[in-house]
Amino acid sequence: MSGGDLWSRIAAVAGALALVSCDLPGRPGPEPEVLRPEQVLDFATLYSQNCAGCHGEEGRGGAAVSLADPVYLAYADDAAVRRVTANGVAHTLMPAFARSAGGMLTDKQIDVLVRGIRAWAGGSAPGGLKPPAYTAAGPGDAARGAAAYQTFCARCHGPDGKGGSGGHSIVDGSFLALISDQGLRTAVVTGVPGLDAPDWRNDVPGRPMTEEEVTDVVAWLASQRTQFPGRPYPSLQPKNQGGTQ
Amino acid sequence: MRLLKALGAWLDFRLRLGEGIREAATHPIPKSSASWWYVFGSAALTVFGIQVVTGILLAIVYVPSAAQAWSSLQVLNHDLTLGWFLRAMHGWASNFMVALVLIHMIQVFLFGAYKFPRELTWIVGVFLLLMTLGMAFTGQVLRFDQDAYWGLGIGASITGRVPVIGGALVHLLLGGPIIGGDTLSRFFALHVFIIPGLLIGFVGLHLLMVLKLGINEWPMPGRIVRRETYLKEYEQLTHEGVPFVPDAIWKDLVFGAAIVAAIGVCAAVFGPFGPKGQPDPTIIQASPRPDFFFLWLFSLLSLLPPQMETPVLLLMPPVAILILLLVPVLSGEGEKHWKKRPVAVLTVLVVAVALGSFTHLASTTPWSPEMDAWSGAPVPISELKGRSALERRGALVFQAKQCRNCHRLGREGGMRGPALDEVALRLTSDQLIRQVLQGGGNMPAYGKNLSPAETTALVAYLETLKPAGRAPAHDASQP
Ligand code: HEC
Ligand code: HEC
Ligand code: HEC
Repeated sequence: MSGGDLWSRIAAVAGALALVSCDLPGRPGPEPEVLRPEQVLDFATLYSQNCAGCHGEEGRGGAAVSLADPVYLAYADDAAVRRVTANGVAHTLMPAFARSAGGMLTDKQIDVLVRGIRAWAGGSAPGGLKPPAYTAAGPGDAARGAAAYQTFCARCHGPDGKGGSGGHSIVDGSFLALISDQGLRTAVVTGVPGLDAPDWRNDVPGRPMTEEEVTDVVAWLASQRTQFPGRPYPSLQPKNQGGTQ
Repeated sequence: MRLLKALGAWLDFRLRLGEGIREAATHPIPKSSASWWYVFGSAALTVFGIQVVTGILLAIVYVPSAAQAWSSLQVLNHDLTLGWFLRAMHGWASNFMVALVLIHMIQVFLFGAYKFPRELTWIVGVFLLLMTLGMAFTGQVLRFDQDAYWGLGIGASITGRVPVIGGALVHLLLGGPIIGGDTLSRFFALHVFIIPGLLIGFVGLHLLMVLKLGINEWPMPGRIVRRETYLKEYEQLTHEGVPFVPDAIWKDLVFGAAIVAAIGVCAAVFGPFGPKGQPDPTIIQASPRPDFFFLWLFSLLSLLPPQMETPVLLLMPPVAILILLLVPVLSGEGEKHWKKRPVAVLTVLVVAVALGSFTHLASTTPWSPEMDAWSGAPVPISELKGRSALERRGALVFQAKQCRNCHRLGREGGMRGPALDEVALRLTSDQLIRQVLQGGGNMPAYGKNLSPAETTALVAYLETLKPAGRAPAHDASQP
């Protein structure tokens, strides 16, 4: 083998390697391996990292509002979803996510979330009745609400809301302290999908609640709030003071 | 060709190296030592050669400054032809080298090759192992991504536990009280000058001793090493032996080439390591992972009871190194064959199984208490069915306060605290409230971070965590 021959072979191999290297599987892709958190713009990632823990995978089956519930999506508009996602709900467990409100997400990421949640509706509004408005028109009347409660809710939650055959207590002070009025409204309108809590149409089958009835029931529930919820811890009370007497 | 020969002769006449090289190449070795078992050391040397070459090439582009290190790796990965391949080769060769050095060491140990007169060869070998690990560690720091931060953080926290001088040592290691630009300069100097310099020196010494003392003969059960007779016996073996070149070296060459090919394939198929996310301490969503050969350390750390951590961390490495160094001193004579050395074989097995299972644990279980990821996992729907409104708010408190980072629920969550799926069987509501408000036993107290309503909801939820139909924990002091 002459010297020139050898060199041309080496050059050929190197050239081939350089060519092949374009599609070797180990070659890193154009994106950085780990994005900076604010560069993540994939809805599934954003949702599962930030929301799924409370609102459930795919927006269902979580301990907080089922965001993918078609009834919820027909009832809440984009502005509401965006406002809550950005600013959270004060005094509840819904955190604020926008940087402007002390959260970790950019406005762009919040847009992605709102659009993604909206896309769960699949474009088609549920047929039939239009749900009550997202925001209550006025403060509501607790006295009328008590009557509406008896009509629509008592059969499940019991005559005074402390629990009955079809549902548990909804007037517990600590519960009411951790949910906003808007949250109560959402619960009345959408029910709790997956847990047999009916939406506003089916509390009394065939007799949907009216706008006013919803507002009034929420006013009544809100009137059940206590001043010092959760205090004192009942079980931390000394059970037999002063020894065994 | 003739010109080359003339040039060679001219050089050799002046350098006088040819003789020595010829002698070293053709020195006779025991027949039995021309074995496939004796190739790991030379393979480690070959890989070290790759590291020197690829390392020098990488150093041409790499910028050892905190601001630019990460982006200079991006340049290598994306903008330079085959730059990524160079990084991949260096990274994979590093893993191979650690593995080969370990295998070489185990082989030498099991074959009794550290016994008289090769004690010093072994001791130098122990230092070579430490330097190889040091190269691996400093190398991953140079990547200066989140994983590097992790490695440094752990390293610094271990160092910081040294009594009295801990703080000063951390300062020395990091070039300041925290990880910063000076840290990188220090590790760059360590990785490209100090450790490699020592490594080359020690490798030379190691090789010299291998040449001068001869390659260990194949051990035979019953052939006992004695200081008085060994050299004579060995001479006898080499007398009937074969020349190193070509009878033994072809196996080294074949194995070395196979290892180089394997590294090349790994590099081409799996690509370079990282760099992972930018090392920005303001990014709290990071979930860094150490390189595999340090994984066991982490799972050991997370499983140890807290009061044991410091003594174990500080005593274990020096004791382990001391034991390794003392091996040839303590058993410099006697049996070489593994069949006659059950304790030695058992020790190797126990250490291997222990390290292996710790590594497995660390790579399969969620171990980091800092990881947010777990609180992103939804509460299983089965834990919500049949729960009251208050209890489900409690589940939200549980998620919002990130209890899951330390506690598993439905098999998902951290391992710092116990799984809570059946906690209501163990604790009464009083005890639950106390645990949550006052913490205790490595759990933070949440008293100041929870409103009474949140506490009530949380405890109401915890009280439901038991298999259906089982009675909750009973307070024995109450009727
Ligand atoms: C720690 C638990 C938690 C996390 C995490 C969480 N939420 Fe919420 N979210 C809640 C709670 C609780 C409410 C009900 C608040 C109330 O009482 O009004 C809520 C309410 C909402 C609502 C309004 C529901 C309504 O009544 O119209 C929206 C929209 C929403 N969350 C979106 C999100 C999005 C998007 C994310 C992720 C970026 C997220 N949430 C993460 C707990 C959480
Ligand atoms: C068919 C029975 C039924 C009727 C009627 C009913 N509920 Fe419920 N409700 C439930 C069930 C079941 C739940 C799930 C939790 C539970 O078991 O308490 C629930 C949950 C709730 C919650 C808690 C939601 C949350 O986010 O945790 C509220 C608030 C509530 N109901 C209010 C009402 C009001 C107000 C009415 C009347 C307008 C009403 N419910 C009518 C069965 C019912
Ligand atoms: C930093 C990690 C950590 C966090 C965060 C944490 N815990 Fe713990 N938790 C522990 C440890 C460790 C123990 C075991 C304590 C012991 O050994 O006494 C424990 C014990 C418990 C126990 C007693 C379990 C038993 O079987 O004895 C309960 C209940 C508990 N934690 C609830 C919570 C709740 C609720 C939260 C969130 C508000 C939480 N923990 C957050 C680490 C943590």
